[in-house]
Amino acid sequence: MTSFIKVCLTCILGLALGIWSSRAILERGAPFGVVTIGAWRVAAKAGSSDADPYTRAELERSGEIPLALGEGLQLVARRDDEGRRLDARCVYRVGPHTPAARYWTLSLVDRKGFPVENAAGRYGFRSSEILREGDGAFSIYVSATAHSGNWLPIGAAAPFLLVLRLYDSPLSATAGGIERSAAPSIQRIGCA
Amino acid sequence: MRFGERLASAAGHLVAALIIAALVHLIVILVIPLVAPRDAYARLAALGPINATIVLERPGPGESRLPFGDPALASAFCRYDLSTGPIRVKAPTGRAAFASLSFHSRRGAVLYALTDRAATHGLMEAIVMTPAQLREFEAHDDEDNPSQDLRIVSTTNEGFVLMRAFSELPSLYEGAEDEVDGLACAPEPMPK
Repeated sequence: MTSFIKVCLTCILGLALGIWSSRAILERGAPFGVVTIGAWRVAAKAGSSDADPYTRAELERSGEIPLALGEGLQLVARRDDEGRRLDARCVYRVGPHTPAARYWTLSLVDRKGFPVENAAGRYGFRSSEILREGDGAFSIYVSATAHSGNWLPIGAAAPFLLVLRLYDSPLSATAGGIERSAAPSIQRIGCA
Repeated sequence: MRFGERLASAAGHLVAALIIAALVHLIVILVIPLVAPRDAYARLAALGPINATIVLERPGPGESRLPFGDPALASAFCRYDLSTGPIRVKAPTGRAAFASLSFHSRRGAVLYALTDRAATHGLMEAIVMTPAQLREFEAHDDEDNPSQDLRIVSTTNEGFVLMRAFSELPSLYEGAEDEVDGLACAPEPMPK
């Protein structure tokens, strides 16, 4: 009898561990086929037909329609340059350059990928609408309270992500070819 | 039972639990794409019939929408079903600063994508077909006068086509919506 209970417990433990590990890995993002560029992560194969099973499962579960490789590239940041999780109580400066692209956008989303309600009604910036320095460099300030210049409000989301999309970028097909210096940095410049 | 035997038995059960966990993990990851009821195709299917062009709601806060949408881009889609024949897709471009067309299988894999740079006379055009339909088309091809059509093979009978158009400024978003509303999907006759 005791051995029957032991077998049952073993099965339950195995089942629980299996489900937990699957959930955890999908919540955190697929571990394979991810290219890291500074603070940014690119699911390099998400937009191709040979995406790995983890990337596929993640896409299917979220309902996201990935950007195809021929269209552009999506970079996601969950942490700043120093590896600290993005915090709604802090002010971040994103800039000064992006990899080459016809257009790019920088937007802020919650953990599930949805824009966050804010009083300013701003969910992102386009490359065609931001204020720039004379040499083309830019700074986008990500903070909960109003900031001069290009201000991207954090809104009420506790954990948030930054999403950089490069449209019609020559780098689309070779995510590995982006140098760290080409991707914008995410600098934490202060915390409340 | 002596202590050593107990330890060996406990370790045996632990190893068994880990093996079960690994199996469950693999099954969950591989099965999600087959059973996910909330994948992109299922969400789009709820919005309208096959071949109809439907403009997606602008990405914003709220989980009724698809995640990881870009608020700067308007998108429209049409679903296809190749069981009754191939589908010709036409997407006029020219007004939006950037436009693209991507083809997705029922399982969410990206089959192909092109941007407005590949448009001829301001039109992005392609025919979506099954491998069997492609063979029939090729059998009827005139070698001296080859077809100019872009043929895209879908690995599944069902799938969808998505058109995206970029707005350079918030005020131009409606224009981008008009552009993607021009997407048209219509049945294409088989060659005779």
